[in-house]
Amino acid sequence: MSSPPAVALPLSGAAASGSEASARTSRRQAFDLKGTMASLTVLRLRSTDLALVERQLRVKIAQLPHLFLDAPVLVDLGALGDDAAALAFGELVRALRSCKLVPIAVANVPDGLRGPVTDAGLGVWQPPALGRARGAGDAEPADAASTGPLSAQTGATETPATETPATETPGPEVLRAGASAPAGPSAGAPSVRAPHAGPMVINKPVRGGQIVYAKNNDLVVLAPVNSGAQVIADGHVHIYAPLRGRAVAGAQGLAGARIFCQKLEAELVAISGAYIMAEEIPAQFHGRAVQIFLEGGECRIAAL
Amino acid sequence: MSKVVVITSGKGGVGKTTTSANIATGIAQQGKKTVAIDFDVGLRNLDLVMGCERRVVYDFVNVIRNEAKLQQALIRDKRVENLYILPASQTRDKDALDPEGVGRIIEELKQMGFEYIICDSPAGIEKGAQMAMYFADEAIVVTNPEVSSVRDSDRVLGLLAAKTSRAELGGPAIRTHLLLTRYSPLMVKRGEMLSVGDVLELLGIPLLGVIPESKAVLQSSNKGSPAILDETTDVAQAYLDVVFRYLGQERQHRFIEEEKRSIFGRLFG
Ligand SMILES: Nc1ncnc2c1ncn2[C@@H]1O[C@H](COP(=O)(O)OP(=O)(O)OP(=O)(O)O)[C@@H](O)[C@H]1O
Ligand SMILES: [Mg+2]
Repeated sequence: MSSPPAVALPLSGAAASGSEASARTSRRQAFDLKGTMASLTVLRLRSTDLALVERQLRVKIAQLPHLFLDAPVLVDLGALGDDAAALAFGELVRALRSCKLVPIAVANVPDGLRGPVTDAGLGVWQPPALGRARGAGDAEPADAASTGPLSAQTGATETPATETPATETPGPEVLRAGASAPAGPSAGAPSVRAPHAGPMVINKPVRGGQIVYAKNNDLVVLAPVNSGAQVIADGHVHIYAPLRGRAVAGAQGLAGARIFCQKLEAELVAISGAYIMAEEIPAQFHGRAVQIFLEGGECRIAAL
Repeated sequence: MSKVVVITSGKGGVGKTTTSANIATGIAQQGKKTVAIDFDVGLRNLDLVMGCERRVVYDFVNVIRNEAKLQQALIRDKRVENLYILPASQTRDKDALDPEGVGRIIEELKQMGFEYIICDSPAGIEKGAQMAMYFADEAIVVTNPEVSSVRDSDRVLGLLAAKTSRAELGGPAIRTHLLLTRYSPLMVKRGEMLSVGDVLELLGIPLLGVIPESKAVLQSSNKGSPAILDETTDVAQAYLDVVFRYLGQERQHRFIEEEKRSIFGRLFG
């Protein structure tokens, strides 16, 4: 049966296809060590004000709970620069866990924080893997230390680490690492356009609490997406049935992505980070066949 | 061949235990060896509704912990042949049920020749409910005609498709049936309840039956005698229909509209 895939986070993919597993499978072996990493959310700290971090995280999580709840997270301290040393690391970990995130490792750890990081049971992320994840080779660019090697494609708008966060300034930035990064030697252009992959097709209802994510792909759903369910694609989302839950197209930033649905009853629709909540959907579109697309950075709805 | 059937809902108080008691009784009356297992650890409800609470000596958890044999814990119904109850315990330990233990007991019940193993799930979508559904071959999703109950049922349908032994081992999908309980045609007409059609559209699974809202349910559970045993009531008729439909007979749907023989009855019959 084609139940939706295991929850995969779209804000994903420090796809470090590191050294091939050194352990070759032999009959006796009790495990394989794979040098690959499936998908991971990177939390890139831009403030050491943990109350602020936590507050903004909670807002983010409230918007897209199913993307973040119980998600493994790599914490990147690179953007903090010298401030990183002043970070109350134990507090940070507590804050993340209280938000139901699962911190697993830390990147760009200053020497003074190695102790607290390992004491908290987290891994120290090794720079070479990051370099590869970015597709920049092992050599880091000269300025990498200030911005960290885990720049997302949105990196151009990043604010300096030292800036005091105003209400407008995003505190923690949840990055989509690897979005633009080749995942390995075979990866070339963004595979949203890969001609042979074909869209992901779901032909059973997507139920409340379920998440379907078409990574680097379009998503076609031939059954209802029910309240509390989420369908997400890096490309377009097509739903040939009622959309009662949430739909996200262009999850990794593809601005041209669209959502098409036969009957709009959505809780939320989002494209490339811009979204419309249920109560903001104009009444004339309720229950209608529509498409949703980005225009001037905002979501627009049009009847089909 | 044994069938493991979970009676589940997500939302609490919608009629799972009532349904478990009535369906188990009805199936057993048809000559099938049937056991109803109470998975609601800590509450113990099924034995009350089935009127055997005084005869509980050992329970499900005792058997899982090897403190008693399965035969010692099984209670044989005094009214209906072929009907057995495996009661829940009153232990506070919610983790008392584990997949290995539950799996072992279900296997043992199959070996004993039980044809229908009815699992009365606790409310919620957490571990207890997941234990009750884990080994199911079929699920009867009990839903009340209101939005929160339908949403919970939808979540449960998602879990049935993902968090069960069949899902994990890649077996055939669990067969799911919708049982709409506490249905009041009058309230539907007034717009105070969702209609059968609304619920079917939202959940998209086949309708097993509609059980009307009725005082007879409370009276019969106070007596400890499942409603299905008194054939004069609406509820008994409705549960009898459900049992026959479940066992493969054609029965027109009833109790959907105020007057009997309704259009819906023909639509979904
Ligand atoms: N068809 C019905 N008409 C009227 N009352 C009903 C009906 N079905 C169930 N009830 C009543 O609803 C209450 C809850 O029923 P029941 O215990 O079967 O639900 P449950 O889903 O097992 O609850 P829980 O989630 O607590 O286990 C009881 O008081 C019962 O008498
Ligand atoms: Mg109950």
